[in-house]
Amino acid sequence: MKRQKKTVMALIALLLIFAAVMSACAKSGTENGPSSPSASGTSSASGASGASGSKDPIKLRMTVWGSPEEVAAYKFAIKRFETKYPNIKVDLQHIAADYDTKLTTMVAGNDVPDIAMMESGSIAYPLAEQGKFYNLQEFLDKDSDINMDSLVPNIMYSLEPGNVIGIGPGPESFGLFYNEDLFKEAGISPPPTKLSEAWTWDEFIEVAKQLTVDTKGRTANDPGFDPKNIKQYGVSASTWWGVYSNFIYSNGGDFVSEDGKSFALNQPAAVEALQKISDMMNVHHVSPSPVQAKNIPATNVALQTKKVAMAIDGQWATAGLAQSKFNFNVGVMPVLKEPVTTVVCGMFSMFKSTKHPQEAWELMKALIDPEASIEMITSGTWMPSYKDWYTEPAMLSKWTENLDARPSGYKDAIVDVILTKGHQTPTGYVKNFNKIMDIVNPALDKVWLGQQTAQEAMDAIADKAQQQVKGRRDIK
Amino acid sequence: MRKGLGYGLLFTSPAILGFIIFTLGPMIASLGLSLTDYSVFKDRTSFIGFDNYAKLFSGEDDLFYKSLGVTFYFVILRVPAVIIISFAIALLLNMNVKGRAIFRTIIYLPSIVPAVASAMIWMWLMNPDLGLLNSMLGWLHLPGSNWLYSEGSVIPSVVLTTLWGIGSTVIIFLAGLSGIPQSYYEAIEVDGGGWYSKLRQITIPMVTPTLFFNTIMTIIGSFQVFNEAYILTQGGPNNQSLFYVFYLWRAGFRDTEMGYASALAWVLFLIIMLFTFIVFKTSKSWVYYEGGERP
Amino acid sequence: MRQSKLALAAGYTALILISILFVVPFVWLLRSSLMDLSQIFSMPPEWVPKPFHWDNFRRSLTVLPFDVFFTNTMIIVVGVLIGTVATSSIAAFGFSRIRWRGRDTVFAILMTSMMLPFAVTMIPSFLGWKMLGFYDTLYPLIVPAYFGGGIFNIFLLRQFYLTIPRDFDEAAFVDGASYFQIYRSIIFPLSRSALIVVALFSFLGSWNDFIGPLIYLKSDKLFTLALGLQMFQGTYTAQWDLLMAASAAVVLPCVIVFLVGQRYFLDGITLTGLKG
Repeated sequence: MKRQKKTVMALIALLLIFAAVMSACAKSGTENGPSSPSASGTSSASGASGASGSKDPIKLRMTVWGSPEEVAAYKFAIKRFETKYPNIKVDLQHIAADYDTKLTTMVAGNDVPDIAMMESGSIAYPLAEQGKFYNLQEFLDKDSDINMDSLVPNIMYSLEPGNVIGIGPGPESFGLFYNEDLFKEAGISPPPTKLSEAWTWDEFIEVAKQLTVDTKGRTANDPGFDPKNIKQYGVSASTWWGVYSNFIYSNGGDFVSEDGKSFALNQPAAVEALQKISDMMNVHHVSPSPVQAKNIPATNVALQTKKVAMAIDGQWATAGLAQSKFNFNVGVMPVLKEPVTTVVCGMFSMFKSTKHPQEAWELMKALIDPEASIEMITSGTWMPSYKDWYTEPAMLSKWTENLDARPSGYKDAIVDVILTKGHQTPTGYVKNFNKIMDIVNPALDKVWLGQQTAQEAMDAIADKAQQQVKGRRDIK
Repeated sequence: MRKGLGYGLLFTSPAILGFIIFTLGPMIASLGLSLTDYSVFKDRTSFIGFDNYAKLFSGEDDLFYKSLGVTFYFVILRVPAVIIISFAIALLLNMNVKGRAIFRTIIYLPSIVPAVASAMIWMWLMNPDLGLLNSMLGWLHLPGSNWLYSEGSVIPSVVLTTLWGIGSTVIIFLAGLSGIPQSYYEAIEVDGGGWYSKLRQITIPMVTPTLFFNTIMTIIGSFQVFNEAYILTQGGPNNQSLFYVFYLWRAGFRDTEMGYASALAWVLFLIIMLFTFIVFKTSKSWVYYEGGERP
Repeated sequence: MRQSKLALAAGYTALILISILFVVPFVWLLRSSLMDLSQIFSMPPEWVPKPFHWDNFRRSLTVLPFDVFFTNTMIIVVGVLIGTVATSSIAAFGFSRIRWRGRDTVFAILMTSMMLPFAVTMIPSFLGWKMLGFYDTLYPLIVPAYFGGGIFNIFLLRQFYLTIPRDFDEAAFVDGASYFQIYRSIIFPLSRSALIVVALFSFLGSWNDFIGPLIYLKSDKLFTLALGLQMFQGTYTAQWDLLMAASAAVVLPCVIVFLVGQRYFLDGITLTGLKG
């Protein structure tokens, strides 16, 4: 009998725990309910007169991804903003990984921020197509501080001409990074920094051959060169579309035709560029194949440890390069027909559901103001978004001179090129880009491994890819 | 035996309630959504009947068949490998050896190392030129492989990487092994039987309940393989590791076609259920419960 | 069990070889946590940090509020652990030691909860919790553990309960014991090793859970360690040195818990006094 009592007591205790947990839940539910941000958005809706001078306290929410340094830069920008507008509080939500998954659930739960950092290759356009974002063109047209012309080209993303869905905090372009010491030792003149002197593809391959060395010390030009045992590659370039798009554009090619109606990677200009990249790996053996590339660490380490002599990479690599203490520099990429660099960047978008569009716009301006993110810019990770930071010598020198991340070739090879020869990233204007690439990428795997020519591979999937071509965003 | 319906429901009620409250709703929701063109971002969702399923089976979506094939191949390779290897390791760990606490912990370690860190090590181990695996094959004068990086070898390579994560399967086997009374083995010894008789007559029959559990869980887990594609291969090369759930996730979240993804999910649900059902049915003939219970 | 010397030697050899294979990822994590960026990625890999960057630990653990993350994680882990062990063992008892009509059908239905990919039930679950007003609280991460603790655990314990001889219950019944008493005084103590396995899995599972906290939490004051670890990943590059150091620091408690926990089920405590 005693035992039974104990058992009953234990069960009652357990039930009490349930009850306590459940009631605690319910209580906190009602307590938290009204103060949850989505609800507070509605309650402060009355204060949304739209003017930034409004004295009612306003709360703005924004979501970002990024490293602690990047987040610190946003926080700095927000602090400046809050000082300027004391009635506005900004709630910064840092979603470090699986950003799109999280944002998708937030959209599903009607709990979206006022401003979100977005990426053109993922869910930005699907959201914009459903009318979830403000057209920032309206704000740009009315604004007295900035307009279309005061921003660097290609950092705005449009759903269609005249409908801007996002503005980037800073552009990123591509360059040819190299280890200066390696060029000195080999007695070869380094990559030119001026566009007018840029290497042709053949010149580039020739230099790369001289700098590709096997384990016995033979270069790719020497007889008996062993491409299976390469100690130092002439150049490394990832097989990401961000990198090879530079050469497709440079050769006059594109992902889709100018009218947006047909798949264009199987056209001669694009095929030639793709084939050249494949040959670089599989015929000339001056660049690691995708399989060998798994041995090649990040650009800064690869150049520092002399695994590669040159690397085609985004300008963000300068941040890492600046920290690895060695003599690196940057030149312009080789030119096929026209000098071009693809410009990639993230963007800030404003959700339509915001109760304070004008304040959100002011916040967005504060975020893209280079003055606020000066540390990210001088450390090398970002570039400024305002054009006068490139054209006004005094401002230009602020972020390009006497800095570890900005070697001597930087101004010519990166700064000048991005202003005059930038090309928008394909994710910004090719509709249905991901689905097209789902078909293209597997075919390109064979090209990079030298199993198929670019022409064969692209022809083989052209029909299937064509079915996914849905037009361009930069034409009506 | 006393009638137990009331007690049975009482004891299982937390679990049943939990299922009804937390699981049933989302399951029904996703089943319903699979009959619509639901996209999280669209304000309007329309009912489209079985269109999503029709699209799946019409052959229009060849990645559906591709990912299904890839996943089946993975399951067929992985399930026997996991079961056999983890049982063998569990037998070793169940021996009366010094330092087995350390050994047991080591076997479990890979399961708790964060995926980002272990992904780096697979990249290196399976590196065609500098990787340890090819170096080892080289010492034995065997030809190397391109492992994760070629179409033919990517699935076996992914299976290999998942074998590092068998810690929990081993632990469950161990718990099962530790429940076998010493006296049983002593009886065999009295009859003059060796280790093989012990294994055949005692260990294997006695461990069938845990073997059954591990088999079911490994099948369910293998069909839902996701992380390896998400972190290691992104479905490549040439879609050769486009695992079903990875494809489904891509459809639902990247391409925002959640209705279609739900249809994909329910097809997988039926497949997994079928396999689980088959194993449950056959278990009557091979799982031995000392409690005398028929499963 | 008596073992021949030869068998023992062979066993040791096999164990040591396997252990070397299995310890590699962990050693990799430890050595990376003490290296600078360029050494982490050196190829072929180096195993000894040169120099030892002990500073990585201090930097990684101070750049983010890991103390807050730790507290939240502990609240979740302890809450889940208690709920799981208590309710999954009760439910497993009902599914194995009591005979009732429809039992196996109900069990089969519960089993289906593991068969639908989480990707499609995630949003409905999230919406449900949000509707109840529990978005951005720890409850969605803890409360379900008090309702059976997941079919995985129930299934696992059921398998163990089924192996316990029926005679025990029968004898107890003859003495007039109730089901509660049988559960408490026979089944619960006899299945201690399986319960400890369940406890370990539930600890490690909620310690490392990333997707749950990602979806249900919003304010960083509620973030967990698994979420915090992701914060070292930048837009273009990850801070691998800090990421590795923080990962090592987060994994270490798991290793200790495991080392301590496993001795309770490895030494065959279960069957003392049990004679089949």
